[in-house]
Amino acid sequence: MRLRKNPEDHSKHNDHNKRSHALSTMSRANSESSLKALDYSNLFYIVYLMSSRDYLGEFEHVVLLAVLRLDDQAYGVTVRREIEARTKREVSIGAIYATLDRLEGKGYLRSRAGDPTPERGGRSKRFFRVTAQGVAAVNRTRHALRSLTEGLELLGSRS
Amino acid sequence: MMQTASRPLPPHLAAWFVELSASAEQSESILGDLAEEFSDVASKSGVVSARRWYWRQSVKTIFHLAGAALRSAPWPLTGIVLMGFVLKWFIARLPEQVIVALLRTQRPYSNLHYVLYVWLVTWGIPILRVVQMTLIGCIVAAVANGKEIVATVVLIVISSVIVGSNFCLHVLDLPLQTKIPWAFLVPNFANWMGILTGGILVRQIRSASPHQDATP
Repeated sequence: MRLRKNPEDHSKHNDHNKRSHALSTMSRANSESSLKALDYSNLFYIVYLMSSRDYLGEFEHVVLLAVLRLDDQAYGVTVRREIEARTKREVSIGAIYATLDRLEGKGYLRSRAGDPTPERGGRSKRFFRVTAQGVAAVNRTRHALRSLTEGLELLGSRS
Repeated sequence: MMQTASRPLPPHLAAWFVELSASAEQSESILGDLAEEFSDVASKSGVVSARRWYWRQSVKTIFHLAGAALRSAPWPLTGIVLMGFVLKWFIARLPEQVIVALLRTQRPYSNLHYVLYVWLVTWGIPILRVVQMTLIGCIVAAVANGKEIVATVVLIVISSVIVGSNFCLHVLDLPLQTKIPWAFLVPNFANWMGILTGGILVRQIRSASPHQDATP
């Protein structure tokens, strides 16, 4: 008696085939320095793969790094000051919180409430910590950026 | 809340706007952070510049929070705003119908209610329309749990764009007295404020009752 394959396994197998085909075509395209070798279905699949990996946006990356640097002292004010001090870029509390909430939603951060203090009008702080998933996302983005900048002669380094 | 008398206080109105645009959990930490930085700026550069800084930060914060709310659930919000428009369209004639039905019960020249009759003819429809818009704002905000103000503001912005473009397109066909922009804007502005008031009412009721904020 022949065993019937699980349809899920079949789709996984197809998925794997499609992925390896897309990646091999992509590497071939890279080696030929041409994107013409990629057909549209492969391009869509590569875009799908990249989106499913969920790379960090530029500001998300900055905020995650600031939270990592601050360790257990990371809350809105300190994160904002850390970013301003290190990047010389003025950011608003709203921008910080919108990003922190998005990162928490993705599982890259965890938050806990601190104690209320008088200088904050009796309101409590919300401390953030980077999760293992968050560290992995930072590493992934760092590797992606490193591989993209590798071998590039950047404007600043020419002179 | 712990507050000392000597400590300068941040502008209440700006803080209220931030509180409205954020979820309960967010507003606690955001307002706390703003207050902490406000006292820091006030001690360094004075209360006036600290207040200016607070307003600037509040406006930026409100825009960021609204943008984040729109990005986090664009389709449900679109659906809610569309529902608001459908509701507006369905009950658009209601104020006129109610006032006309009410006036039919009166005989203006033969009883003592002449003043009431004139008042109803003049102000009844606009007042009922504002009440109607407030109810629509309440319904939209009640459905947009956690994003009450964003949903009502989007409804107002789209309504104002539609009304404004309609006015610009038909300005030549309008009778002379309605060509004056403010005469046209005042009733519409009152309607938009009605929608916003509905949103604020629902938001305030929700934040007053614990465990009601459903923002993810």
